[in-house]
Amino acid sequence: MSDHVEPIAFIAGPKRVWLYVRQAAAFIAPLVLLLLAWPAIVTIFDVSPRVFPGVQAVLGAAADGLRDGTLLAHVATSLGRVALGTVLAVAAAVPLGVAMGVNSGVSALLTPLFRFFSVLAGIAWIPIATLWFGYGFGAITFVIFNAVFFIVAYNTLLGVSAIPPRLRHAAASLGAGRVAMLTEVLLPGALPNIVTGVRTGLGFAWRGLIAAEMIATDVGLGYMLFVARDFYRTEVIVLGMIIIGIIWLFIDRLLLAPLERATIERWGLVQRT
Amino acid sequence: MSQLGQVLEQYGRWAARWPTIAALVPFLPIVALWWGVAAAEVFPRAFFPGPLEVVNGFAVLTYKGILPAYLEDSIGRLALGAACGIAIGVPLGLLVGLNRAAHTALWPLVLFFQAIGDIAWLPLLLIWFGFGLTTMTFVIVYTVIFPVVFNTALGVRSIAPELVRAALSLGASRIAVLREVILPGALPNIMTGLRNGLGYGWRALIAAEIIVGTSGIGFMMFDARRAGSAVEIVIGMIVLGLLWYVVDAWILAPIERATGQRWGLIARS
Amino acid sequence: MKGLTLRNLHKTYFDLNMGSRVTAVQDVSLHIREGEFVAVVGPSGCGKSTILNMVAGFLPATKGEVLVGDRPVKGPGPDRGVVFQNFALFPWKTVIDNVGFGLKMRGIPKPERDRIAREFLALAGLTNAADRYPNELSGGMQQRVGVVRALANEPDVLLMDEPFASVDAQTRMTLQEELTRIWQERRHTVLFITHDVGEAVFLADRVIVLSKGQVLREIDIPISRPRAWDTVSEQDDFKRLSSEVLQMVRSA
Repeated sequence: MSDHVEPIAFIAGPKRVWLYVRQAAAFIAPLVLLLLAWPAIVTIFDVSPRVFPGVQAVLGAAADGLRDGTLLAHVATSLGRVALGTVLAVAAAVPLGVAMGVNSGVSALLTPLFRFFSVLAGIAWIPIATLWFGYGFGAITFVIFNAVFFIVAYNTLLGVSAIPPRLRHAAASLGAGRVAMLTEVLLPGALPNIVTGVRTGLGFAWRGLIAAEMIATDVGLGYMLFVARDFYRTEVIVLGMIIIGIIWLFIDRLLLAPLERATIERWGLVQRT
Repeated sequence: MSQLGQVLEQYGRWAARWPTIAALVPFLPIVALWWGVAAAEVFPRAFFPGPLEVVNGFAVLTYKGILPAYLEDSIGRLALGAACGIAIGVPLGLLVGLNRAAHTALWPLVLFFQAIGDIAWLPLLLIWFGFGLTTMTFVIVYTVIFPVVFNTALGVRSIAPELVRAALSLGASRIAVLREVILPGALPNIMTGLRNGLGYGWRALIAAEIIVGTSGIGFMMFDARRAGSAVEIVIGMIVLGLLWYVVDAWILAPIERATGQRWGLIARS
Repeated sequence: MKGLTLRNLHKTYFDLNMGSRVTAVQDVSLHIREGEFVAVVGPSGCGKSTILNMVAGFLPATKGEVLVGDRPVKGPGPDRGVVFQNFALFPWKTVIDNVGFGLKMRGIPKPERDRIAREFLALAGLTNAADRYPNELSGGMQQRVGVVRALANEPDVLLMDEPFASVDAQTRMTLQEELTRIWQERRHTVLFITHDVGEAVFLADRVIVLSKGQVLREIDIPISRPRAWDTVSEQDDFKRLSSEVLQMVRSA
């Protein structure tokens, strides 16, 4: 009746495309404004390049990095590390979480442990990781693995134990065996929690990665930033920050958030308030 | 196997009745395992200290006053950062939640700057402010703000329009609507935001103390790392875990529940 | 207490799905006398809630105006108390603070407004619920608070938007009887929106049948007061008027 706006998904046809375009434009406009304001501010206030770089310097740094291939190497290394650690962690955490969530006793035993270790997720592992594995690949993968593993396992466990028993009973009385129970009830039922866990865990892992790379390696985005600091090369630092921001925006907003929304809202498992 | 299952189910029922004790029980076998592995010297002693050494180290550090002093530094920094984060984040969240134009203009910027992440600011901050409290406070404030802004805005938008209408038709002014309806309505979400924000902020603090540090738990851990002494690192991790557990489970979560559940705003879990 | 006048009210809005303007309310004029109880009834989508929202000042009218006494409505205000379908109680305020809200907005000090609020709570048998939170009450109790909250602010006109639609049938009848009792004591000017024909005939002095945003007919309800379901439901007048209104609503 009133002036409420329909969600875009319910509007059909070319109008829908047009609305998406408008939404995207509205989203980008403030960022473009910021991009325009930046050189103006740097010029007007005569900011020293040792404090904050101009746009040209940053573009120059990007061009240099692209030309000698170092920029791509840093980005690829960082992404590779996150991907490896995350995949390993999810692959280990989900089956474990599902298996544990089925029995209330196992769940009562493991929940406090997983909670404790998810509290430590990420950065707090860096000192011991570097002590155990030395500076480099092993330590960083270990930090990322830890950040994702405990949070995903904890959330999976929560998700499985939150499945109403009547759903399990219903499936059993319809003839579901152990495998079918797992694939048809437990996994889908826990999926929203799993996705939420991955999203939170990746958030910690990404930050942990940047921190670990500052301390523990000689390649990667974090390293790139930290080395640039030694030479007061703010243009490289700002370039790195922008790249970090854009990568995370893509991972979180275009990959994880829609996934989370899709599972949670589509199934109506969580009431949106 | 099925007998074991039954025993475990029994434990599950018992744990539901005694949640406080049940939260500690699982750590007993872990500590025992830790003890055993350390005593068997599977790993070199310097890399993998046993529980006794850690307890001993804990006592020594406490006696010398190092641990309490560092803990005080870390908590002080976190409290300062959290206070500033709330002071900036809540008004900003209200603005974004209430005003369409502000939302359109600010939301993309908020998302972008949140994505850059606190730790990526460290190198630039070190150039600007050097190694010190300003840098660390900036990092924590930066981390706390975003979840607070997001959740405050979400809270504002989740308030039923009828409540605002009811207040207006009972004679409330705009300021009164803000004070009596918007703020209390968004409070559970603000608390959630603060809880998430502190969760991130606390990790950012550790990172800052490791990289910037001159004192604090993070500094203690990394200093020990440089000296190759695992005992202080493990102490640091345990202290951090316990500290956050206490803050989160005994302070933040109860406040969140008290507001949300009493009012029936959080019907879910 | 004042009368309420709706003068040539129109409401059109833009429908995103249809991609065109839709008329929700078309040229509705209506006068409710001081102390009169008028019910507007019609099928869902007939525009009755839109009318109430315009009278309350929640929605601007596209054309036409609303007068309380002789003062035109420009937005929501304490001269028109509103009772909402889903109660709209403040979840973070106790019952007594909900009821005292309007008084607080007028700057009346706490002891005084608690005294007044308690008087009104007693009116609806809510004395014992004063310090509870809305969440802890049943739907029927919550709506009693909703009604009392509007009354305690001493409005000129009471606007009720399907107030009993979300409580169970038993409670609904009790609430309806309580409302007629309270109304008889205090004689408010009432605009009552409902889709329940029996409810409209039972409560009102006059029933307006609305269809496709227009007034289809007005019917006076000369049933004597006080009204109680036991006696009223047996009366021929009630049966005749109810079926008459029902037929109009169904043909609408």
